[in-house]
Amino acid sequence: MKNLRLHLPLLWLALIVAACNTADQIESPPLGEFEKGVLIMNEGAFGVNDGEIFHYDPSSGVVKGDVFRGKNLRPFGGLIEDMVEAEGRIYLVANTGKVEIVAQKDFGILGGVSLGLNISRSLVAVNQKLFISDWGPYDASFNNPDSYVAVVNDLNGGPIAKKIPVSSRPEGMIVAGNFIFVACTSAKKLEVISIASESVAASVLVEGSPSRFLDIEGRLFLYATDDNNAIFHEINPGNYTIVRTIKIPLANPTSMVTLGEGIEAYIITSTGWPDYTDAVAKVSVNNAQVINNAYYTGSGLYGIGFKVEGKEIYVAENNGFQGNGSVSILNASGQKVKSLTVGKGPSGFIFK
Amino acid sequence: MHQGLNPVQERNFGFVTEFADPDTIALPSVEVFSPALDKYTFGNTIKTISETDLGNFQGLPFSDYLQQRTGLFLRQYGAGMLSSLTMRGTSAGHNAVFWNGLPINSPSLGQTDFSILPVGGFDQASIHFGSGGALYGTDAIGGTVHLTNRLKFDQDHQVRIASVFGSFGNWNQQAEHAFSDKKFSTRSRIYRNFSENDFPFRNLSKFGTPIEKQEHAKVVQVGAMQDFAWKIDLKNLISTSVWWNDTKREIQPLMGSNTGDIQTDKNLRWVLDYFHFAENKVWNVKGGLVRDDQLFNASFNQTIQYFLATDLDWEINPKWNSKSGIRYTHIQGNLSSYQATESRMELYQSTNFQPNEKLAFSFNLRQLVYDGNFAPFTPSLGGEWKVMKNESHQILLNFNLARSFKVPTLNDRFWVPGGNPDLQSEKSLGGELGLNHIYKKENFTLDQSLTVYKMKVDNWIIWLPKGNIWIPENIREVYNSGLEYALETNKKVGDWNINFSTNYAWTRAINQTDISENDRSKGNQLPYTPEHKFQSIINVGKGTFSTFLNYQKVGERFSGTDGSGRLESYQLWDMGGNWNWAIRKKEGNDGLQINNLFNKEYQVMPLRAMPGRNYQFNINIKI
Repeated sequence: MKNLRLHLPLLWLALIVAACNTADQIESPPLGEFEKGVLIMNEGAFGVNDGEIFHYDPSSGVVKGDVFRGKNLRPFGGLIEDMVEAEGRIYLVANTGKVEIVAQKDFGILGGVSLGLNISRSLVAVNQKLFISDWGPYDASFNNPDSYVAVVNDLNGGPIAKKIPVSSRPEGMIVAGNFIFVACTSAKKLEVISIASESVAASVLVEGSPSRFLDIEGRLFLYATDDNNAIFHEINPGNYTIVRTIKIPLANPTSMVTLGEGIEAYIITSTGWPDYTDAVAKVSVNNAQVINNAYYTGSGLYGIGFKVEGKEIYVAENNGFQGNGSVSILNASGQKVKSLTVGKGPSGFIFK
Repeated sequence: MHQGLNPVQERNFGFVTEFADPDTIALPSVEVFSPALDKYTFGNTIKTISETDLGNFQGLPFSDYLQQRTGLFLRQYGAGMLSSLTMRGTSAGHNAVFWNGLPINSPSLGQTDFSILPVGGFDQASIHFGSGGALYGTDAIGGTVHLTNRLKFDQDHQVRIASVFGSFGNWNQQAEHAFSDKKFSTRSRIYRNFSENDFPFRNLSKFGTPIEKQEHAKVVQVGAMQDFAWKIDLKNLISTSVWWNDTKREIQPLMGSNTGDIQTDKNLRWVLDYFHFAENKVWNVKGGLVRDDQLFNASFNQTIQYFLATDLDWEINPKWNSKSGIRYTHIQGNLSSYQATESRMELYQSTNFQPNEKLAFSFNLRQLVYDGNFAPFTPSLGGEWKVMKNESHQILLNFNLARSFKVPTLNDRFWVPGGNPDLQSEKSLGGELGLNHIYKKENFTLDQSLTVYKMKVDNWIIWLPKGNIWIPENIREVYNSGLEYALETNKKVGDWNINFSTNYAWTRAINQTDISENDRSKGNQLPYTPEHKFQSIINVGKGTFSTFLNYQKVGERFSGTDGSGRLESYQLWDMGGNWNWAIRKKEGNDGLQINNLFNKEYQVMPLRAMPGRNYQFNINIKI
């Protein structure tokens, strides 16, 4: 009895906790089909514009293709450059000049931006507005001197309210405080847009070709490359100055990078002529060291992602854009544990 | 099947009937002589498209005719846009195209855009199905297309005006004046073809798939031709033709894309032939140039090809014919990313052997050398056997074995970045077997042929992404096989003429190569190659009136090499009528055509909108 008296409060507590959990489960709406698992962005083949989203459920091992077409009964009709999760929506940014906005849960269409864009690259959502980086049109020499960030005054898209001119070929963006930071690859500049005035507040020349921003343990980095180095510029978001630059000697790094555990990052390298060998290099940002320059090797490596749960690395391979691409799933030691057949030109992931 | 007469036979026929001098071979009395392209092609299938066949397509892209009226399939990137021919499951660059005996495939792109060859820019077309490398040289792996002008002597003055008015701002005009007497013949032709191409289409890339009007697809084409022939005497003839063609196109964007590309193609082609006729011999010297200027937005690409060739066609005896020749080509390429020059020399020998009335064989050899590199040596052997012939029936068996090749294009070798100077020529080896049956009885004729073929194409060049650039490699091997069936029947019932023809092509083009561990291409049909294409037309006419109903069905295609990206099959119906008339000294014909009768929504290539039902009215007047 003594034991029972002692255990009764614990039993009640356990029952209450269990009941609360049950109540919570009842109150929370069930997750939509695409709010769990892995969303795989497939850019599509040039001239065919068959970009699509695939979904992979790691628990069942099922890959579901043509998620966009399946829900909306029409092809996406574009080359998908970026897939951004924001404000409860998924933004599909096509470099063929449009953005389609779908619901996270089922990919049902919510809206889009279809007029006025040229070669769209990425998107951020802030203050109920969308900011879309766009290379602008090509000139006679296939340069893009008239790049811009387009502003749309509705999270579900609509007409472009304003175009903010920026330096050539803006790519990745990030919101920090009252500013949007823009990596202008061709101009080799970090540009800062004031959200309030919707104008460029600063333009900073940086070393290497910058492409995207990374949040490493609460610090903001701009990732850039040159032929022989992967470069991480740490930014002070308060005054948008470069605090320090970490150069990691690495031959032929590309703009494809993902953060791993802690201060580690995985970078795709490509040797170019004459061997054209692609590889995944593992680096330590803080220590400016290459941990392994051939963590994984292959050809046509076209995107990379890190799934925190299970510490798996997802490497996308484009298969020469001849047909469907593949995703190789690597374990923490770099061994391939699974291969998935996905869409044309797989290039990015969202892990839910 | 071997169609068309041997030119030597033609001339002998003329000699017998017109001239008494046994040392002289007579020129045909009316038509200006041009060598028969199909003379050394026993065992091959050749289809001739006459001026009459082309009549209703005046000023329209030749690709429209081929797509609608034959069993061939063209990869059509929109209405009036780039159209490349695929024959027997090969790629766009695996067909040779000739204009009056000059090869006109772009040496930088390796192919011809059939959408900028207007009907009216030539008088007759012949399609040689299958391998023809030994006969024609580079590119003739899947087939060969010959475009020829047919000039005539002794016709006095002739004026011809042709117009087409159609839906979506289609408006084509052509005017021609010809004069000829017994020794001279001249013909001048100018044309302007215009299409706004603002047809409605369902935009599949937009929410709700709204019907929109196609924008940015206007085509404006102007051109001029001049032909001239001079029969110096009974033994010597000079003929020349010049063709200038200027096409400016707004490139129709893919659905969901807002590209605003503009392309201008300026093509200048000139050919000069000298023929000397001796006893049982024809000596030909041919010169010419083909200049292609292409401006894509601000990117300018130019190639100029100069040709000098000579051959001797010799009837050794009634059983043996021989043609020996040499062709020199000099190519200048001024491309946006590189400059290149190249010289090509090719030697060829063709031989016909007809041991008796029932058997005939053609044996052809060719060796091409380009800048010191030997292209694959290409022999071919073909034959025909008249299995049976009586008053009603004729049955003919054909066979052909051939190698062919394609020299890598200038872009393949020199494009910056990515061009690969180490590329080998693509090469093929194949054979075909055919059966031709002709039946005639009273007012009924039937001509049907069935051909089966097998071919292996190796060293197939494809461009693959390597790091940040694309590089061409000799990587693909493909097994092509298939069947072609053609039927033509004519029946006269009282005053009515009924003509029915049908073409069917079953094409298997199976990729044998995986380019990487993850590639799943092997064993699949090549992209954009329909396994089935069926076309059929029935013409019913009485007196000066005739009507037709045309049908085509194109099977499913795939955009990926692994069977991914399925494109739906489609079927289209067209109908129309023609009225031939003669008033005083004028004659002509008027026609009305309704294309895509049932307003079918379809795509030949992914996301390239095609027009729905459309109307076309044509008027041809001859004075």
